[in-house]
Amino acid sequence: MSGSRPAYRKRLLQARRHPLQTVLSLVILALIAWIVWSTAAWLVVGADWSVVTENLPLFAVGSYPEHERWRPLLWLFLLCLMTATTLLQPLISRPWRIHGLALSWAWLAMLPIGLLLLAGGAGLPMVSSRDWGGLTLTVLLTGFSGLLALPLGILLALGRRSNLTLPRHLCRLYIDGLRAVPLIAVLFFGQLLLPLFLPVEIEINRVLRAVVAFALFAAAYVAEDVRGGLQAIPGTQREAAAALGLGPWQIQRLVILPQALRVAVPALTNQAIGLLQNTSLMAILGLVELLGISRSLLANPAYIGRHLETYIWLAGLYWLVCTAMALMARQLERQGKSSATEAIPS
Amino acid sequence: MTIAVRAESITKTFNGTQKALDQVNLSVNHGEVLVVMGPSGSGKSTLIRTFNGLEAIDAGQLEIVGIPLDTDQDERQIRRIRRRVGMVFQQFNLFPHLSILDNITLAPIRVKKVSKANAEQRAHGLLAQMGIADQAMKYPAELSGGQQQRVAIARALAMDPELMLFDEPTSALDPERVKEVLDAMRRLAADGMTMIVVTHELGFAREVADRVLFMDAGRVVELTDSTTFFTQAKEERSRRFLNQMAH
Repeated sequence: MSGSRPAYRKRLLQARRHPLQTVLSLVILALIAWIVWSTAAWLVVGADWSVVTENLPLFAVGSYPEHERWRPLLWLFLLCLMTATTLLQPLISRPWRIHGLALSWAWLAMLPIGLLLLAGGAGLPMVSSRDWGGLTLTVLLTGFSGLLALPLGILLALGRRSNLTLPRHLCRLYIDGLRAVPLIAVLFFGQLLLPLFLPVEIEINRVLRAVVAFALFAAAYVAEDVRGGLQAIPGTQREAAAALGLGPWQIQRLVILPQALRVAVPALTNQAIGLLQNTSLMAILGLVELLGISRSLLANPAYIGRHLETYIWLAGLYWLVCTAMALMARQLERQGKSSATEAIPS
Repeated sequence: MTIAVRAESITKTFNGTQKALDQVNLSVNHGEVLVVMGPSGSGKSTLIRTFNGLEAIDAGQLEIVGIPLDTDQDERQIRRIRRRVGMVFQQFNLFPHLSILDNITLAPIRVKKVSKANAEQRAHGLLAQMGIADQAMKYPAELSGGQQQRVAIARALAMDPELMLFDEPTSALDPERVKEVLDAMRRLAADGMTMIVVTHELGFAREVADRVLFMDAGRVVELTDSTTFFTQAKEERSRRFLNQMAH
């Protein structure tokens, strides 16, 4: 800090020489202070947060039957617990730290657990997917579409780099095709047009249709991110693996992909966050996820004109979930880096 | 004595015109150490890369450890050969995402289906042999170049190869690290390993090689025992090369 003092003095001297600048700065400062003050005052005194406080369960689980609410709530609690555990790992001393692989499997297990809790079965009474909603549905949509999009995207990326002409062109066609279509069109197709093409007896669950549409769409983008990762791995890695007698699939699975996915983590994080926010499009198509539930609340005469409060609350929720995801992804990146940086020879 | 490598007038052309290998004939016996020398671009690397199918030949006949390697590159034949032929690269090419131990045990476990315990025991033995027993749990990026290259040798040896190919194994190393790698290779040769080494290390060639193959422009200029090569090379081209290397 000792170095900053002369600079600070210099500024003060300059301020004396340029009175107009000083006045301007003070005006701007006052303006900022006024904006901050009035916003804070509105948030605390002016705003009517009843729309949020009275409907917390709705935001969390939607119109899920009241006596079964503990199920989605339990799932949300488990997710929070997992997030906290994951984020606290670096602070925990080594012997108590959970192995990264175990943690990944636990995260993966969260999805079937969530589905079981929400849908019922294994002793729990069934609850129709029509009654799922709120944050629970948002997370479920994101999780399952992401889980499907990742392997599909990897396959597309591998196919696009394949030596075989037909698969390569098909993968390119798929990737370019889906990237040329707006997401909302894909969702419309899944929700409104697909049922028209199918016989009346076959009724596919709406949530499932949404998940499939999101996954098919996201896979095209994931494929391009993974392709970028694959391109970053030098061909000498493939040669070294081949020289050891490994087969083509073993080379991909054991040598190339693990490195490529590590390179692709930042880009894939971007996709995951995009996916989470894109699920809000389902509100237009009638699923009552976070945005959907907010819209239906605002339609209630009791909360007329409470848009600002609702959307600020909503923004806060999305921000919280996205931040948690981003922090966990950064941790994943750091882990990859600490275990293996590029072995570029000196 | 059985034959490890038999090459009959093999030819390899890049981009349709540039001849990397031009009618090369060569036969290497088991237990022999052959050093391949020549100016850069003379085809030495290409030659040994055809021996485990990393490069396909355009014409000629090739037989490695008794398995024919035709111009049509049958994938199964190549893999059979690669199981029995180890290769060490100039840039080490270790797998950066795997620990040293996993680098060495990967192929024995996945290709030869050796049990994990046995593979690890053997890996520790090889690391000790290479003088880096204490590095097993580290990652490649944490090791010096010389250590990485010795791991690469151990990784190739873990498959119990009958033939070891070295493609300029010391060219990417700091001068003070070269000796530790060459020493490891000397011990390997003393144990009777069949080795084909592309290198510019004259001292190693003079001391360890049974024969020297000198190449220029894809052709074999001279193939003779190492004493003869270093004291009374027949060809003018070889003598000029040795002269330049000495300065």
